Amino acid sequence: MRTRILAFASSIVICAAAHAELKWEQTAVELHPTATDKEAVGHFKYQNTGSKPVRFESVHTSCGCTAAQTQKDEVPPGEKGEITATFKIGDRTGTQVKTVTVNTDDPVNATTVLTLKAVIPQELEINPSFVFWGQGEAPKPKTIVVRAGKDFSVKQLKVTSSSPDFETKVAQTAKGQFRIDVQPHDTSRDMAATLTIQPEGSSKTFYAMARVTNVPAVQ
Amino acid sequence: MRQALILVVLAFLPGIGQALYFRDKVSWQSPVPASEMVTVAQARAWGRNAIWVDARPDVEFERDHVSGAVPLNEDRWNELLPRFLATWSPEKRVVVYCSSQSCNASREVARRLRHEAQLKNVFVLQGGWEEWLEKK
Amino acid sequence: MKSASSILSFQSSTIPRFVRRIAEFIVGGIFIYAGVIKALDPIRFASDIDNYKILPWTISVRLAFYLPWLEIFCGLALILRRLYLGGLSILAALISVFVIATVAAKVRGLDITCGCFGHASKNWNFSTHLGLDLVLFGLVISLLCACGRNFTTTER
Repeated sequence: MRTRILAFASSIVICAAAHAELKWEQTAVELHPTATDKEAVGHFKYQNTGSKPVRFESVHTSCGCTAAQTQKDEVPPGEKGEITATFKIGDRTGTQVKTVTVNTDDPVNATTVLTLKAVIPQELEINPSFVFWGQGEAPKPKTIVVRAGKDFSVKQLKVTSSSPDFETKVAQTAKGQFRIDVQPHDTSRDMAATLTIQPEGSSKTFYAMARVTNVPAVQ
Repeated sequence: MRQALILVVLAFLPGIGQALYFRDKVSWQSPVPASEMVTVAQARAWGRNAIWVDARPDVEFERDHVSGAVPLNEDRWNELLPRFLATWSPEKRVVVYCSSQSCNASREVARRLRHEAQLKNVFVLQGGWEEWLEKK
Repeated sequence: MKSASSILSFQSSTIPRFVRRIAEFIVGGIFIYAGVIKALDPIRFASDIDNYKILPWTISVRLAFYLPWLEIFCGLALILRRLYLGGLSILAALISVFVIATVAAKVRGLDITCGCFGHASKNWNFSTHLGLDLVLFGLVISLLCACGRNFTTTER
């Protein structure tokens, strides 16, 4: 009787042991690119701890801005590898969370979602990034507040307008905080300007917009 | 056990009452608030008062897009935003779309237009480009 | 039909009665406060639950209208000593779920601003959240243990 139970238990163990299993070192990666980085790359390492090969059936990302690359299509037992996720930062700001969904032929864990979190440092916070006047509205100055990001020190700001129709005045209001007063010369016609904002000593350029619209101001 | 059950049932009463009070203010099916989503039919009904914004990558916009739509994606936000703002005016409604309901790009673009540019009347197209094609 | 009410009375125990009473007021008060904060803005609480990425939105939004009231009623149960054991058990279960969800979110690298206190705790870091949850859990379990050892019910 005992022998039968042992044999039965062993067969279950053996059957369970003959499986494919992809073990991930981590399924969530947090990246901290610098302000000038164009890309953030996350590495998701895995190992096949089972006794059968694992085949990648599909790998797709939550966003066209993220590309995922597997090193191989099939992972033999015991082998290690990694999936590289490259997130194109573009003009994105703040904390970005992108996912990579990996489908395999592993019957136990067919789908794994890998998470790439990129904390993009913001050198400047511009609020609002757009000011406008309605046609005929009094051409009073409107204010854009600029604050230096948490880990950045901004001592001076250079602001230039793409159009002579808009005047800008910059003043520092506190440490790392500035106000830009924007004023159109008149509001009788539709006109626009891009304000280029450059922190002193920084290679990065920021933008705000000013416009006089072609409709009267909403009261 | 009985006491716990009584408490569980009791809590339902004000919960249901509150849910009924909020029923029109909450999006029960998706995380974007109902007031910020618009169907294809509603957006079409706005006619010339709508500005269509395509939040998809450039290559998808170039392949096909809503007639008259302006591209505005986070890859080239700084470059594309001035072009969009040049076409915007305060009485118009902005309708942002990306590939489908599950795509997040339109929500992100809409969020940035509302918070950074402080625009009002910014909506996300329910179902996205897929829904637009279907209803075409 | 005869109606019967049961009264929970505490025999002398290793923990003085007034200490237990203080603990009940603290735990009950915290949960009533937490429930009220979340009940005042259920839509924001729904997006806080959604941030954990554990439940689909359709469930998160419905929970957001229900959970705060459950917390309030359980907090009241502790303070008023009505439906006491039921309230304690539910609170123990709720805190366990909060702790597991908070740890799971941290492991998955999610940026979470919701714990016991909904958006009121948005500036707390992970350690603060977890610390408070564990302290509350400890208090609730102590009350449950004290209850289990020492209560008698008297039918009237």
